[in-house]
Amino acid sequence: MQHFPILSIVTLFLGAFLTVIFGSKNETVRKFIALIASSISLILVLMLIKPIMIEGNIIQYWLGNWRPIHDWAIGIGLEVDALGLFFGIIAVLTIFLSVVFSFKYTKKDSETDKYYVLFLMLSGAVLGLVFTGDLFNMFVMIEIMTFAAVGLTAFRNYQEGALEAAFKYLVLGSIGSSMVLAGTITIYSQVHTLNMAQISALLFNNLTPAALFAFALLLAGFSLKAFVVPFHPAAPDAYMSAPSSVSMAFSGMVNKAGVYAIIRLVYVLFHAMDFKSIQILLIIIGTITMFIGVTMALAQNDFKRLLAFHSISQIGYVITAVGVSTALGLTAGLYHALNHTLFKGLLFLTAGAIFYATGTTDLNKLGGLAKKMPQTAAIFLIGAFSISGLPPFNGFVSKWLVYQATFEANMAPVTIVALLVSVMTLASFIKVAQSIFFGQMPKEFENVKEVPLSMRIPMWIMAILCVITGILPNVVTKYLVSPAVSAALNMGKYIDLMMGSGYAEKILGKPIEIPNIDFTLAGYWNPVAWLVLFGLLLIAITLVAVAGGFNTVSLPTEVDDPKYDVFFSGEASEHSHVKGNDLFWGLKHDLRHYFGFMHDAHSGIINDYALWAIFTTTIFIVYIFLLVP
Amino acid sequence: MMKGKNRQVKDVIVKTAADFFTPIALVLGFYIILHGHLSPGGGFQGGVLVASAVVLIYLGYGYNEVSKKFNMEIIKKNEALGAILFTVFGLAGIIYGSVFFTNVFANIGNVGDLISSGTIMFMNNSVGYKVLTGVGFLILLMIGLLAPDNEK
Repeated sequence: MQHFPILSIVTLFLGAFLTVIFGSKNETVRKFIALIASSISLILVLMLIKPIMIEGNIIQYWLGNWRPIHDWAIGIGLEVDALGLFFGIIAVLTIFLSVVFSFKYTKKDSETDKYYVLFLMLSGAVLGLVFTGDLFNMFVMIEIMTFAAVGLTAFRNYQEGALEAAFKYLVLGSIGSSMVLAGTITIYSQVHTLNMAQISALLFNNLTPAALFAFALLLAGFSLKAFVVPFHPAAPDAYMSAPSSVSMAFSGMVNKAGVYAIIRLVYVLFHAMDFKSIQILLIIIGTITMFIGVTMALAQNDFKRLLAFHSISQIGYVITAVGVSTALGLTAGLYHALNHTLFKGLLFLTAGAIFYATGTTDLNKLGGLAKKMPQTAAIFLIGAFSISGLPPFNGFVSKWLVYQATFEANMAPVTIVALLVSVMTLASFIKVAQSIFFGQMPKEFENVKEVPLSMRIPMWIMAILCVITGILPNVVTKYLVSPAVSAALNMGKYIDLMMGSGYAEKILGKPIEIPNIDFTLAGYWNPVAWLVLFGLLLIAITLVAVAGGFNTVSLPTEVDDPKYDVFFSGEASEHSHVKGNDLFWGLKHDLRHYFGFMHDAHSGIINDYALWAIFTTTIFIVYIFLLVP
Repeated sequence: MMKGKNRQVKDVIVKTAADFFTPIALVLGFYIILHGHLSPGGGFQGGVLVASAVVLIYLGYGYNEVSKKFNMEIIKKNEALGAILFTVFGLAGIIYGSVFFTNVFANIGNVGDLISSGTIMFMNNSVGYKVLTGVGFLILLMIGLLAPDNEK
């Protein structure tokens, strides 16, 4: 069992290398290799749930058997606790479903061997990042992850903007990696070790100015990997031009790797959540992220770009909730991270299905596809309801937890912003639903067909998971989220297992008390009751419809007669389709100064974005120097 | 040098120097790869030295000769082979020892001999193989971009 983490990582990398040798000619072989590698990895990680999540063990693994000597960690170690495993589960789930989806989805692309090689490298790197116990190893994995992601962004390089997006990602990603490297070096110069458990022990109550500097650099670097505003501008371009299965992986696990690193950094490495100022910092950047993300999403005309901005916005929820450093806040954050992977992966797959069927994701060109692609439409609605936080879907549960956590921490303004963002999320998904699946169908899409089964299966799996995590929050919390929360808060055990028992107490001077994770959800809500209500309403409507209650007889069945047509100021109705752009024009007009400012700020020039990143890092450094000690 | 016209007929001095130094680069590179576990250097450094031979050949004979001599597709596959070998020797640590990357079969031979250090030597050599193919591939890619269109 102790070999499972390393084997799950090695399998993915081995799959990537094998694809180079055997998969360059034959399509079936490379699909087979990718499927086998990702399913082995999935199974190995899922088999860790019992020992780690339920029995509460931590797996420690010293590569090459280089154990600590005289209390100094000299080797590279893997340490899988419940927090790492939580993100590991998210990652393997995304990897597996994305691989299955991409079989048919990349049918029209050439050179898919490069796709699978890069994708498996990306997957292995994310898994390595969440399982590692070594700060420098983390940096290496982040580098592999970034470069694989850059390559995948440029995979459809015949598409307009793909190379530009990849270049932006490359520049910003390299800035982030450099900051992580600089932070790692600074920490190493301070405590002379790279093992995270030992760093955590040695930095306890020992935050020298250099350590604070390293903290600011690492926070900025990891925030960049999680695409927190204002480090975000590479994300929408990259998500838009990458294939949808890759966009799903980006928002499902590459983002989450950044979030994981932030949680590991602030909770375990630096014990920083004891400081009110760090909590405030995280809550501020989280709130800004969710607000700017959603308002930018409202103004988008491209489905995938819109989803990308929503992805940024939802990460804002996670960061905000993590910043509220109570057990409830962390629960809310982790739960929302899981849910975000599920529903955003689902929505990106829907976008991929739309692109596969119609060849575009432009909201102004699409319309009325629900008739042609009923399953995709149903799946999309599940995803849209989930992300908008409607009961009984999963977004509701985690958003409720976020509201409750922020409100109980006396952060009522943040709660209000979170509610507002949720409303705007719903609004923008109404826009998407209207412009893609409902409304008038343009003539050129009359021959559109539903996507093949192998693309629908991953979508349905995700949709079902969305509903399950929505109606069984107690089970999910008990078996997945709460162990991860207690692992994040229990750094004493984390240190002890890696460095030998008693080490934590020797260095820290006292046993660290573990906060009790005990909370009751506020309000009278019961997801099952909502589900029953939904079902009852559906049955009632069906009964009325079957009984002829809607009086369809009076509606004209002959559509050819022009006298029954809706009058669109003399134009043919197909020219009068309410386009995605036209919805909410009033809101956009009222807030035109804000939208104008945001539009100008996102200039598309990489120099500006690099400047934002550096500037924000400077602000982090100054803020932390001024307020933390 | 005349621009683009007769790139293949290079300066005789450069050509002679390339002839002279290419074997040295190869021998030194392979020596450093093989003795990575005993002396300074290792797989990476030796691999880069070997790959530098590609540059020497390019300098001496021009792009046409290089593109005739090297098949990039095969080089790419050999790079992956190096990575696979490295992983397999790492996995041997799990099978014959305790954990991944453990150095097994370390008791063979006298200390200081070429074969005396177990699988670590073979891991080192796989790294060398991967780096010499990988860096060689990169160099070929770059000089391919540098080459004028009529030579491609």
